[in-house]
Amino acid sequence: MSTGQVILATLVILLGAGGSYLLLPHRHGATRSRNVHACGAVLASLALLGFLTTFFSPPSPFLAGLFFYLFSIGAIVGGLLTVTSRNPIYSALWFASVVLSTAGLFLLAGAQFLAAGTVIVYAGAIIVTFLFVIMLAQMEGKALYDRAARAPGSATFTCFLLFWSLLYTLGPLHPQQDPTASEGNGQQHAEKSLVRGGNITEFYQVNEQDPAAIALAHAQRQTSAMRDAGGAEKPDVAGLGESLYSDHLVTVELAGTLLFVALVAAVAITGPKRPIRPGAGPQQDAGEGGRRETLKT
Amino acid sequence: MIDAFTLDLLRNYLLVGAALFTLGMLGFLSRRNLIVMFLSAEMMLQGTALTLIAFGRYHGNLTGQVFTIVILTVAACEASIALALVVVLYNRRSSLDVTLWQDIREEGVPAASPLQEESEAEPIEPVPGPESYPILTPAGIEPAHPVQPWLERRK
Repeated sequence: MSTGQVILATLVILLGAGGSYLLLPHRHGATRSRNVHACGAVLASLALLGFLTTFFSPPSPFLAGLFFYLFSIGAIVGGLLTVTSRNPIYSALWFASVVLSTAGLFLLAGAQFLAAGTVIVYAGAIIVTFLFVIMLAQMEGKALYDRAARAPGSATFTCFLLFWSLLYTLGPLHPQQDPTASEGNGQQHAEKSLVRGGNITEFYQVNEQDPAAIALAHAQRQTSAMRDAGGAEKPDVAGLGESLYSDHLVTVELAGTLLFVALVAAVAITGPKRPIRPGAGPQQDAGEGGRRETLKT
Repeated sequence: MIDAFTLDLLRNYLLVGAALFTLGMLGFLSRRNLIVMFLSAEMMLQGTALTLIAFGRYHGNLTGQVFTIVILTVAACEASIALALVVVLYNRRSSLDVTLWQDIREEGVPAASPLQEESEAEPIEPVPGPESYPILTPAGIEPAHPVQPWLERRK
């Protein structure tokens, strides 16, 4: 990563950190919060603009590029507003925008089944969250805990330091024209340009008896490759099903068990308590006593 | 054979995933509403899923999508348990504030004082309309039993 790019990354991160710090709910001296929000929104959108123009390389067909930018802007803006909204209802709505945008990005990356699955699963999750917000939260973001963020300065610093380091590591990923040009620095080129799964064995000349070679061969079985032996692309759902039910059968079973255990846990945690009726004797502590009683009967 | 999914495209996806992960972490660390914290955790999972799918596409391998299915499962389990816990915690303290549960914090971490938090909270700016009408002092004799709001009667 060149020095100019490092400076640009730092600038973008500083702008974004300042914008999100101003947008997080807490008191800013005597200034009116509306002005602070406008200032934060301007800073954050400048950061987003810089982020999109300097670090992204536009995808080649125009329409795919357009949709990619649309979905990534939707995801990032929705994410920021989920985090900074005072009203949890708005948070849930913006989270829906994040989910829809990531589903669009999945679709652009060729994962049709998961795009549909994400929308279906998270639509249910968001509706349930909505019901919870309506049931439990104090409306309109007037509650103290919605107006005061916990340690906004240090939280922003930590998170954007992580973001900066991720940018710093992802920045040098650029395709090299000819990765095997010279023997001496072939390794370096490979680390910059990330050899694809199919070429790893020959590029690094992995020994047959090496455990890495066995792991590689295991990972690249024909059943979990995106293309069949002839080189034609498998249909997404068929390929995914083949991979899931031949290579990852234990995983499927484990996932089912996990869902079942979580269901049992959710019922056990919220277990119904016996209602307290007038004249039924002294009141017990509603939490522990009631639980013990239901367990006994 | 040239794959249409180039390294530059992969980098784009990784950057969006990194941004989503960071924003989710920011929300989880700094917000105090239990429901918003739960949404932020889900957002971190979304960022990771995006990264996995992009890597799988780059290497021409379906394992990334299988990982994402596992992530979806874990997210569903997490949602059910988290919302069950939210209900239980709300029934105990009648509030969604995590700070009310700070007595289970790490050893050596100073406790947050409610007065200081009140002073750091964003001021309420009433919008013109019914919200900004003056509040009248209640007249008459106070009844013998103070009327409790319904939230406090749930114990």
